[in-house]
Amino acid sequence: MNRSHRVSVVVVAALVVTAAACGSDDDATDTAADTAADTAADTAADTAADTAADTAADTAAAPTEGAELRAWGWASSETEDAALTGLLGEYATQSGTAVTFEPQPEYDTALQAALSAGDPPDFFYVDSFKLPDLAAAGALAPVPSGAITDPDDIYPSLQAAFTYDGTWYCPPKDFSTLGLVYDADALAEAGIEPPTTMDELAAAAAALTTDTRTGLVFGPELARAGVFMLANGGYITNDDVTEMTLDTEGNRAALQYLADMFAAGNAAKPSDIEAGWAGEALGKGSAAMVIEGNWIVGFLADNFPDRNWGVVELPEGSAGRGTFAFTVCYGVGTENESDAAWAAVDYLTGPEGAQKWTAAFNVMPARESLADAWLADKPELEPFLNGADYAQPWQFTPGFGDVVTEFNTQFEQLIAGDITVDDLVVSVTEAGESVLG
Amino acid sequence: MTETASAGPVSGSPAMGGAAQTAPPSVRRRKGRGNRGRSQRATLHRRDPLIGWLFAAPALLGLVVFLAIPIALTLWVSFRDWTGLGSPFDSESVGLDNYRELLTEPGLRRRDFAISLRNTFYYVIIVVPVQTFFAMFLAFLVNQRFLRGRGGFRTLLYFPSVTSSIAITLIWLVLFAQSGIVNRILPFSDINWFDEPNGLVHNLLGVFGVDRAPGWAETEVFELRLWDWLSGPSVALLTIMLLAIWTTSGTMMLIFLGGLQNISRDIEEAAAVDGATWWKRFRYVVLPMLRPQMYLAVTLGVIGTWQVFDQVYASNLGGPQKTTLTPALLVYLQAFDNSQAGLAAATAVILFFIILLFTFLQRRVTGSSDQTP
Repeated sequence: MNRSHRVSVVVVAALVVTAAACGSDDDATDTAADTAADTAADTAADTAADTAADTAADTAAAPTEGAELRAWGWASSETEDAALTGLLGEYATQSGTAVTFEPQPEYDTALQAALSAGDPPDFFYVDSFKLPDLAAAGALAPVPSGAITDPDDIYPSLQAAFTYDGTWYCPPKDFSTLGLVYDADALAEAGIEPPTTMDELAAAAAALTTDTRTGLVFGPELARAGVFMLANGGYITNDDVTEMTLDTEGNRAALQYLADMFAAGNAAKPSDIEAGWAGEALGKGSAAMVIEGNWIVGFLADNFPDRNWGVVELPEGSAGRGTFAFTVCYGVGTENESDAAWAAVDYLTGPEGAQKWTAAFNVMPARESLADAWLADKPELEPFLNGADYAQPWQFTPGFGDVVTEFNTQFEQLIAGDITVDDLVVSVTEAGESVLG
Repeated sequence: MTETASAGPVSGSPAMGGAAQTAPPSVRRRKGRGNRGRSQRATLHRRDPLIGWLFAAPALLGLVVFLAIPIALTLWVSFRDWTGLGSPFDSESVGLDNYRELLTEPGLRRRDFAISLRNTFYYVIIVVPVQTFFAMFLAFLVNQRFLRGRGGFRTLLYFPSVTSSIAITLIWLVLFAQSGIVNRILPFSDINWFDEPNGLVHNLLGVFGVDRAPGWAETEVFELRLWDWLSGPSVALLTIMLLAIWTTSGTMMLIFLGGLQNISRDIEEAAAVDGATWWKRFRYVVLPMLRPQMYLAVTLGVIGTWQVFDQVYASNLGGPQKTTLTPALLVYLQAFDNSQAGLAAATAVILFFIILLFTFLQRRVTGSSDQTP
């Protein structure tokens, strides 16, 4: 009892203090002080702006001198953040523009809040999947002509991934594709060559599956299963994402192929073998082959340095090979578009910046002219780069994300044996048509 | 016996009445003082309302800025095509389209909404009764006079309620993993708890050899087959229910503990003298006197469970197979993943009316006009 009295006294005291603090906002002295401070700050800002304007007028060659920019991205690894900060530091010395990189933990939410408040960062990461949403909402400024060095050097498919309704919105910083990443020791032990066709893949998956290891592991989602449809010449929609094209022979064959492989136990989703994602499963040795992209390289090196792995292009289906390209660009907001921001984006995505950036990581440069140098440095990653020739950009139209989620849900049921390929095709097509209208 | 029983709730009201009776004298005194110096006091009295508003202003300002305006904006946005990627004032009106998409037009959006309603319905009707009775049970335990270290137990039982729900969810994920502690303790269990989409009723029927929907259950009602509506919560959702019950019971326990400590020992003793058994004392004396607390606990429970978000966000994000999708999570996904803030706002408004309806129904069932706060 005594203690609870003491607690309530403390609570009351805290409330009183809070109330007093709130009350003091109305004090005349405070207001006066605030006003004084504001005026001082305004004057300072004005002067700074004037000076900046003067300087800009004087030296037309360096319009970005003295500018201060904020760049946003999602938080990835510490090494990646450090590399980007280092690159921005070099840019600051060259140009006199200071850019602060602020990684955001809940990126989409944070960016959306900043955009709807009318105060976006000067430039920011845009995922190709999110680009149509942002472009359709008018949140992104189109690339001004001449702002980006040699735009024709950028892979056309990547430029297309950031073009919406005929307008090019932002230059890609890098890209990744999917490949078949395998446990080299496991394959050598079983005397199997990396598979090049779908039949070989099925046979290899069966041969590599043991009590503690599954032959093929990938996340149960369109971004992985889709490569089998692409290899059969099909896909979930047409190129313009205006029509559902799921109901074709090629797609049905691809889905049946996967359903059979899962039913036989030669393929599994990561959560079935207690892994967060396929890369982790490969590292732990519970998967012999996985379908993943460039990001797995750094992950394996950091977490499973002893794993002896290799990568090949995804196997050929009835219509050739299929893979997805995942790419991210630097967007500039319409609200606060500035020359300084475009100049910084040009440096980061231009020949010099992109070369330094992709040398530090295992992602691939979006510029064709940098491909050879990159490959000379990382010859073992050639299959990922080869994917660029036939990759499908991971992108749809605004609102289509729900359909992708529906496909993933149905696909999980398919590989669990709860529904048939026909059930999936019919219900996802219906769902897609209700959204595409 | 019945007389003793009814004495319970009745004896509570004199205390209330007593408090009410002490108020009038003070009012009379103020009136008397006012009459004595009328001219002077009158000006003060005229200013009374103003001073009152002034004192209330900080709280009112907070309510208007952080509650009234956002609610009004949500309602307004729910009639617009706002993407959430620009200023809402640049968006265009779409009339009732958002509501139509969720309620009347067959399609994916209505289907997702129906699934989230089904999931949460099961969640509410299981979590609320279980957590309420469990909390009451805990309150009885720690209210026992013979229990040593009651304070320590109270703190322990309340602890989950004050811990971050995200942190607890992460611990739950580890406990219920396939090779986790729960599976090691339970014999013959190798369930991947958070990844098991099949409904409980479905699983139960499976034991009896029913693994396909019977003909009548194929009928579609509001986007889902009757079989889907009746299949019960998935194992994954059940795991989240256990988590919610465990964390919320502590808070509810405090509510009941407050009620129990208000019940005078004399009343229970009087009942005991009249020959009432333990069960009868509980059923006819204690329980009726706990009615206000019961009402509060169930109301808070219903509102809280319909809004469940953080546990599903941190664990499964709606999966597996959308069996942990809830309306609140759907609002988040629509607004931030799919850039459809207008649709999200419409979902939120419908959720608001569902909660209103359930609270009203529940008030009808558990509350009566004279005893509820």
